[in-house]
Amino acid sequence: MSRRAILWVGIVVLFIYIVIAIAAPLIAPQGPNAITGKPLQPPDNNHPFGTNQVGQDIFSQLVFGTRITLLYGFFAAFLAVVISTSVGIVIGYYGGIIDEIVCRVIDVVMPIPMFVLLIVLTTFFSPGVVQVSLLMGLLSSIQGIRVMRSQVLAVARTNFVEGARAIGASDFRIMSRHILPNVSSLVMVKFVSSSQQLLLMGVGLSFIGMWDTTTVDWGTMIQNAYSQGGMALGLWWWILPPGIAVIGISVALGMIGYSFEEKFNPRVAVNRI
Amino acid sequence: MISGKYLLRRLGYSGASFFVCITITFFLLHLMPGDYITNYLLSLSNTIPQATVDQFRHQFGLDLPITDQYILYIVNILHGQWGYSYAYGQPVFSMITEKLSWSLIIVVPATVLGILIGIIIGAWSGWKSGGKKDLALFNIMIVIRAIPEFWWAIMAVLVFSFYLRWFPLGGFSSISVLSSGLSIPDLLYHAILPIALMTFFIATGNYYVMRNSMIAVIGEDYITTARAKGLDERSILWRHALKNALLPMVTITTFQCAAIIMGNVFIETVFSWPGIGFLTTEALNNRDLPLLEGIFLLDSLMTICAMLLADIFSSIIDPRIRMGNDE
Repeated sequence: MSRRAILWVGIVVLFIYIVIAIAAPLIAPQGPNAITGKPLQPPDNNHPFGTNQVGQDIFSQLVFGTRITLLYGFFAAFLAVVISTSVGIVIGYYGGIIDEIVCRVIDVVMPIPMFVLLIVLTTFFSPGVVQVSLLMGLLSSIQGIRVMRSQVLAVARTNFVEGARAIGASDFRIMSRHILPNVSSLVMVKFVSSSQQLLLMGVGLSFIGMWDTTTVDWGTMIQNAYSQGGMALGLWWWILPPGIAVIGISVALGMIGYSFEEKFNPRVAVNRI
Repeated sequence: MISGKYLLRRLGYSGASFFVCITITFFLLHLMPGDYITNYLLSLSNTIPQATVDQFRHQFGLDLPITDQYILYIVNILHGQWGYSYAYGQPVFSMITEKLSWSLIIVVPATVLGILIGIIIGAWSGWKSGGKKDLALFNIMIVIRAIPEFWWAIMAVLVFSFYLRWFPLGGFSSISVLSSGLSIPDLLYHAILPIALMTFFIATGNYYVMRNSMIAVIGEDYITTARAKGLDERSILWRHALKNALLPMVTITTFQCAAIIMGNVFIETVFSWPGIGFLTTEALNNRDLPLLEGIFLLDSLMTICAMLLADIFSSIIDPRIRMGNDE
C-alpha cells in the first residue's frame, strides 16, 4: 500500500471509532451496566455478542467502552502534547537559567519508571477516568519536553525569527506565530504516536485492574472475560470483541503515525521514545 | 577514558532521582486518608484506650515532627525496612525478594534470547533496508507492536493451551506437586509458553532499535570508504557496520537487564505466574499502597542504576558521548 492509502485507511477507521463513541447511546441496545439477560448467554438476536457473567450485554459494553477508551487515550495525549510543546517552546526560546533549571529537573525525573509510578498514583488518588488521563498526560509530557526543546532550538536560531524580533514583535507573538507553526508537524506526529501509546497503556492498566467495576472500558472487559471463566469455557464471543476493538484503533493510529512520520521526516527528526 | 568530574555529576543526578522517588512515596504514605494505627487497632478491638494509640504512635515514630519522620523514613529505606503490606501484614521487602526468583525463571532466558534474536533480525533488516523483505518485516513488526502484550498472551493461551492443549492454562506447577514435589520438567512445561512470549516481545522491541541504528551506520562515510577500498560486503557488515551499530544496544540491553528484576506484569498476570509482576497486579487490586510503593522503589532503584551504568559503559566505549551537550 502506498503511504497515502495507509494514511486514509487509518483515518477512516479512526473516524468510525469516533462516531461510535459519540453515538454510543443510539447504537447500543442497552446501558453498559444494565443487567438485561441470563448470565453467559451465547450470541442471539437480542445480544449480538452474548452476555457476560452477570448478564450484561457484551455488545453494549463494547460500544460504551469506546467512549472511555478513546477518552483517556486522546485526552492524555492532548495534555501531554500541550504541556511538552508549551514548555519546550518557552525554554527553547528563552534559554538561559530557566532552560537550565528545567533541563536539570528533567534529568532527575527522567529515570523514574513511569508505569509503576502511575500505578502507585492511581492507587492513591481514587482512580477515575479523568484523574488517570491527567496523570498519564502529565507523566508522559516529561519525555516530550526534550524532543520539543531541541526542535525549537533549531527554529529559534533562524533568520526569520531574528527578523521578527528586529521589527519589534513581542516574545509571545514570535513563539505563537513563528515558532509554533514550524514545529507543528512534530506536534502532530507526537500527538498521534502518544495517543496510541497512552491508549494501550490505559487498556493495559485497566486489564490489571485499575478501575472499579462500574467503569467499563475494553481493558476491563478483557480482564473480566479472562478471569471470570470466558477463557476456561472457551466463550470466544466474550473475549475476542474487546481485543479486536483495541487492535483496530491501535493499528489505525499506528498507520496514521507511520505515514505522518514518513511525510515529515525530511524536515523533522523524530525521536521514537 | 571517563573523567572523574563526569562520573561525580552523573552519580549526583542518580542520587537526586532516587531521593525524589523516596520523597514521593513518603508523602503519599502520609497523605493517605485514615490513620494507619487507628485502622489497625480498630480491627483488633472496638474500643481503644487513648494510651494505647499514643503508645503505638510513639513506637512507629508518628509523634515526631514531619522532618524527623522523613529522615527516619530515608534511613529505614536505606536499611531495607520498606514498611508493611496492608493486605498481607508482612514486610514489603521480604515479600518482593521472595517473588524475585520466580520472575527470574521466566525473565532471564527470555531477555537473553530476546536480545540476541532482536539484534540478529534487526541487523539483517537494516543491512537490507529498502528491500522487499526488509519492508515486509518492518510492516509486520509495526502491526505486532500495535497489539497489546497481554492480548498476545491471552491469544497464545487460547490457541496453544485451550484448543491445542499443548501447554497448561497457567500457574507454575501441576497438581501432582502436592504428592511428588516440585520437579524441574514440570516447571519448564509451565514456563515455556510465557518465556516464548516474552522473548517474542523483547525481540520485536530490539528489532526496531537495531534496524534504525544499522540504517544510520550504513549511511556513514566510513562504510563508503570501506566499499571504495574494495572490501567484500561480508567483512564490511561484520567488521565495520555491525560493531558501530551495536553501540546504542548497550543502553537498551542495560535497561532490559534492569527490567529483569521487575518481571513482566502482563505476562505474569495472564499466566498466573507467581513473580513480581503478578504481585504488582495483586497489590493494585487490593489497593495495597505500601506494597506498591515498595515495588516502585525497587523498580526506580534498578532503572536509575541501569541508566547510570549505561551512561558509563557507553562513554567508555564511545568517547564522543558526554553529558550536557544535547543541543
